[in-house]
Amino acid sequence: MMHQKILSGTLTALTDRDAHLRLDGLTKRYGDTDAVAALNLNVPKGELVALLGPSGCGKTTTLRMIAGLITPSGGRIVVGGSDITRMPVYKRDMGLVFQSYALFPHMTVAKNVAFGLEMRGVPKPEIERRVTEALAMVRLESLAGRKPRELSGGQQQRVALARALVIRPSILLLDEPLSNLDAKLRDEMRNEIRDIQQKLGITAVFVTHDQVEALSMCDKVVVMKGGKLEQVGTPVDVYERPETPFVASFVGRTNRLEGAARGDGTVSVGGATLRVPGRPNGPVEIMMRPHRVRLADVDASPAGEGTNRLDGRLTRVTFVGDLLQYHVDVNGAELIVEAASDHGRFFRAVGTPVTLSWRIEDTMVFRRAA
Amino acid sequence: MSVAVAESVIPVPRPALGRVGTATLLLLPIALVNAVGFLLPVLNLLRMSFNEALSGGGIRETFTLANWVGLAGDSFYLELILNSVVVSLTITALTLVLSYPIALYLHRSSGRWRTFLTVLVISPLLTSAVVRTYGWIALLADQGPITSAIAALGFAPPRLMFNTTGVVIGLVEILMPYMILSLLAGFGRLDPRVEEAAMTLGARPVKTFWRVVLPLTLPGIALGCLLCFVLAVSSFITPKLLGGGRVFLLATEIYDQAIVTLNWPLASTLSILVLVIFGAALAVYARILRAID
Ligand SMILES: Nc1ncnc2c1ncn2[C@@H]1O[C@H](COP(=O)(O)OP(=O)(O)OP(=O)(O)O)[C@@H](O)[C@H]1O
Ligand SMILES: [Mg+2]
Repeated sequence: MMHQKILSGTLTALTDRDAHLRLDGLTKRYGDTDAVAALNLNVPKGELVALLGPSGCGKTTTLRMIAGLITPSGGRIVVGGSDITRMPVYKRDMGLVFQSYALFPHMTVAKNVAFGLEMRGVPKPEIERRVTEALAMVRLESLAGRKPRELSGGQQQRVALARALVIRPSILLLDEPLSNLDAKLRDEMRNEIRDIQQKLGITAVFVTHDQVEALSMCDKVVVMKGGKLEQVGTPVDVYERPETPFVASFVGRTNRLEGAARGDGTVSVGGATLRVPGRPNGPVEIMMRPHRVRLADVDASPAGEGTNRLDGRLTRVTFVGDLLQYHVDVNGAELIVEAASDHGRFFRAVGTPVTLSWRIEDTMVFRRAA
Repeated sequence: MSVAVAESVIPVPRPALGRVGTATLLLLPIALVNAVGFLLPVLNLLRMSFNEALSGGGIRETFTLANWVGLAGDSFYLELILNSVVVSLTITALTLVLSYPIALYLHRSSGRWRTFLTVLVISPLLTSAVVRTYGWIALLADQGPITSAIAALGFAPPRLMFNTTGVVIGLVEILMPYMILSLLAGFGRLDPRVEEAAMTLGARPVKTFWRVVLPLTLPGIALGCLLCFVLAVSSFITPKLLGGGRVFLLATEIYDQAIVTLNWPLASTLSILVLVIFGAALAVYARILRAID
């Protein structure tokens, strides 16, 4: 008993020390609504954590509280073991990339990037070297002498990124830093951010509502909804094992069906019976990823072991480049099947009866309020 | 060729007047008002400055440089000009220093509080400068509340009226609303996010002010200073009342020459000089604006 207590005490101490950035019940109240409600989060040193959530869920508010630009209504912010909730912004040594860039309009690109280094009293020659380096990283060497208003949105965004990265902050806060870039540049910048963050061991919080960004470059994904944590986990966790229907539908695409679980591992959906993992009971919703569902000609033989099957009718096919999306009407519910596009050839013509099948373990099931 | 075809196929609707025509039409009324109300009188003044003043207020239509040459050779007038410029610059600088914090605070406040403060700032403009000047006379008089208070504290009571100090105090207060409004108009580039960015990059509040806030508010500062300088040079009621006839400035001198001595040619010459000073101020303003950009 005694022994256990000591052990668990040590364990908490360990996790506390591991967490470079810790949010304890962080809350921001505007009027009588909570923009951020009692947020608890541990970010270990050197990890890149994604804050993922729909517009208005409190991502920016959270980030601004960490940076010290908004005073929390409650809770604590702890960095490296010390409480910094009341520490002034300029002492925090955090790099923040603003959602609106917030470049200094009266300074050139180079001056913008140099600002943080000048504030830190870095010697001139080193400033010059590091500014050049940072601008090269964001592919803006040639625009060093321009003013922000002479840049495109994406170029401004990259200056903002360079300005935050060049100071090598202990904590990097990024508020949708890639939202204005084209797909190719976004991929490049993603890798650059990831490389620098890992090389310098920076602890970073990356706000985004792009799930691909969150999944592909972050160690951990924090899904938020209405100011609250919905789920925290590795990218694989939140994608493969979503804890709520919201997470399932926000992280990745989903098909959704409503049904009644019988408590024996089966669920009746319309007239059909589906098998699900676990033994839920009562009203449930069932979800599966469109690309985990197979499309086949109608086949009277019984479903294979470990698979679910539903019959329907093909209503629409959408060509999206590397994918074909088949819309299938199943008893009035529209389900989507995604398949690799084979030179744009369709599986069957619209109107054809088809059978959908997917594995039982690919079936996600959530309790639903009746 | 193909262009011509395209044009005949898809007729592009054109305004009846060209772009320039529309602009001219829109500017015409104000141009006319200015021509009649400003340009003609100024030309008249210019003409008058070449006439000869006779004793007793008479004017002889002629073309003489006597007024101009007389001015250039008279140390009284040279000192008058210099004094006017220096006093006006002092007033402008003091007005700026006193108005800037208020304008910055106003810029950052919001909602009903901001409306209330704005009304408060503008309200002095609703009473005439004459009334406010008499108010200052009551306050600054030798046995007035301010001097008495200073004397009660054991200091030698300063003379705050009928000297340059009085004129400066009065005009600074009268010009502050203009300065505050001009500053506010020029604070457009000051985005709170940009100040926040400076702070996240490690700039303390003082550094943030010098490196970010001040440079971004320079357009407002330039505008406010231009306006206050011009108003200070041309004001004559306040200097007259608070100066008690002992403070000699261009505007008061023009008033005296035109109304008391009835020497219109000299008054005109001085007026044209004031216009030249304004022109110089405008040129400086334009240069500053270009340098800021
Ligand atoms: N100053 C404020 N006063 C009142 N409500 C605010 C204020 N700032 C933000 N909010 C509210 O707080 C909630 C969270 O805002 P926040 O900016 O954090 O959202 P977000 O997750 O960053 O959204 P987006 O993805 O659109 O940037 C929103 O509902 C917003 O309306
Ligand atoms: Mg946001």
